[in-house]
Amino acid sequence: MENAVVMDRLTKRFGDFTAVDEISMQVKKGEIFGFLGANGAGKTTVIRMLCGLLLPTSGKGSVSGFDIYRDSEKIKQSIGYMSQKFSLYKDLTGQENLRFYGSVYQLSKGDLRRRIDSLAESLDLREFIDRLAGSLPVGWRQRLALAAALLHSPQILFLDEPTAGVDPVFRRRFWEILYRLAEEGTTIFVTTHYMDEAEFCQRISIMHRGRLIEMGNPQELIRKYQQITLQDLFVNLISGKSTDE
Amino acid sequence: MIRTIWALMQKEFHQVIRDRIMLRLIFVAPLIQLLLLGYTANTDVKLIYTAFYDFDQSELSREYIRSFTVGDYFVRRTSDIPLVEATKGFKENKFNAVMVIPVDFSKNIQWGKPGKVGFMVDGTNANSASIALGYANIITSQFNQRVSGFASPVSLGGKILYNPEAKSVYFMVPGIVATLLTVITMMLTCMAIVREREIGTLEQLMVTPITTPALLLGKIIPFALIGFLEMSIALAFGIIWFKIPFVGSWPLLYGLSFLFLFTTLGVGIFISTVVKTQQQAMFFSWFFSLFALMTSGFFTPIANIPKSIQYLTYINPLRYFMKIVRGIIMKGASLDALYPEVAAMVIFGLVVFSFSWIRFSKRVK
Repeated sequence: MENAVVMDRLTKRFGDFTAVDEISMQVKKGEIFGFLGANGAGKTTVIRMLCGLLLPTSGKGSVSGFDIYRDSEKIKQSIGYMSQKFSLYKDLTGQENLRFYGSVYQLSKGDLRRRIDSLAESLDLREFIDRLAGSLPVGWRQRLALAAALLHSPQILFLDEPTAGVDPVFRRRFWEILYRLAEEGTTIFVTTHYMDEAEFCQRISIMHRGRLIEMGNPQELIRKYQQITLQDLFVNLISGKSTDE
Repeated sequence: MIRTIWALMQKEFHQVIRDRIMLRLIFVAPLIQLLLLGYTANTDVKLIYTAFYDFDQSELSREYIRSFTVGDYFVRRTSDIPLVEATKGFKENKFNAVMVIPVDFSKNIQWGKPGKVGFMVDGTNANSASIALGYANIITSQFNQRVSGFASPVSLGGKILYNPEAKSVYFMVPGIVATLLTVITMMLTCMAIVREREIGTLEQLMVTPITTPALLLGKIIPFALIGFLEMSIALAFGIIWFKIPFVGSWPLLYGLSFLFLFTTLGVGIFISTVVKTQQQAMFFSWFFSLFALMTSGFFTPIANIPKSIQYLTYINPLRYFMKIVRGIIMKGASLDALYPEVAAMVIFGLVVFSFSWIRFSKRVK
């Protein structure tokens, strides 16, 4: 199976501080990959480097087969990105936001209309698509943001804590949507704080203080460390690491 | 590219129109400023309240006083304050000037001797005091000619060109137009970029395949258009309300204004690359505006600024544009008269604009 994302000793330093320390890993095509770690572990920095927002200090990396140093603009055409913060325009309606991003992605008028229609259908946006984005509850906003990230049918979707602050019912629906996307062949690279969500992932990696400390299938990892839940595994791994130092 | 820019522009206009407060700030505030400045930044001196102490009480002395009070420059203030306590009148703002005509005024003149008159002006406002003194001198020399019957050997025929009545509003309105264009385009551009960075939408845009030129053009064209619209409203207002005579060429004015925009937009983009929050952006643009205004010759002529500080004015693009706008509107100046200013402005604009353009990268720092 081909790899959608490859990192080879990827490193980012900000002055004396090493935010990301020689991370190496691969994400397979069509995989739902969970990227876990405490706050400040360096997850967002990794995503930003992969999306071409930040230049790495050293190491190699590629996304959809494109080099992150040289081909960042090509990468941008093939990825969808949803950041932690809601980053659509609150003073535009859902429809206006989607049309705007559609034009930025150079979709033709007809394609854009069809695409908005089908996303409105599959993500259940109909009832609020003509309301100002700023007036929507968080769960709806996140679905709208997901629609914007999916407009150009990206091969890889980077989601940085997409369900933070969203209620459990909405979270469940959000994950159903992600599953459907993965079945259709989209690679999903997602960071989260919710361990129940992490268990939905085919593989997870756990990051701590800029380093990768464990990677694998959630169930296998639980067995390997003889833990009962992923939550226990996560807490033990991270606190174990802290006392080591 | 064109489509992306167009989409960005549409988005920007949607946002401006939906933000009622911003809309008012952009379109109503400048008009109020124009009105206020047109009336208050008035350097004409009129209505100088004067107390006349006439100890001569002759036909001649009354004639002399009358020559002062016929115009609307000097207004007679009857005062019951004795002359020795005249300073009290100044302090209490009862009058701004005092004229003392001694008992021997008419006798001296009849005997062919100089008739001495005392004149004191409140110098709290140095500018208006010297203007008042100037008026008094002119009136006196005219009076001399009339009374003595023959003209002084040398008579100074003073005349003010382009603005015959020396109305400061004719001078101020073009200045305000230049200032508006500077502040609006610079501040709005800078704020619009920083706001997007603050709320995270800029990051979202940067992970799309949008190109930097498209992104920047889409951001600055709307504000350049708003700047032009404001400039036109201010000009129309100045011409209709303040009756400013516009003698120059409209295409030249707009063409050169377009060139000037490279500077202000460049500065706006530059500020957006060095600040993190909208507050910082606001402070930075306010600081720049103040510097630009003070050293532009808007209020004080550059020649009145101390030599060492005059050098500072050369790095102020508004200084050149101010001269261009006033030159075109008031004197009908043509390009060959303005080329040093135009050249300086264009060089400045190109340097600032390309520097900012390069600094504005698509990556997050």
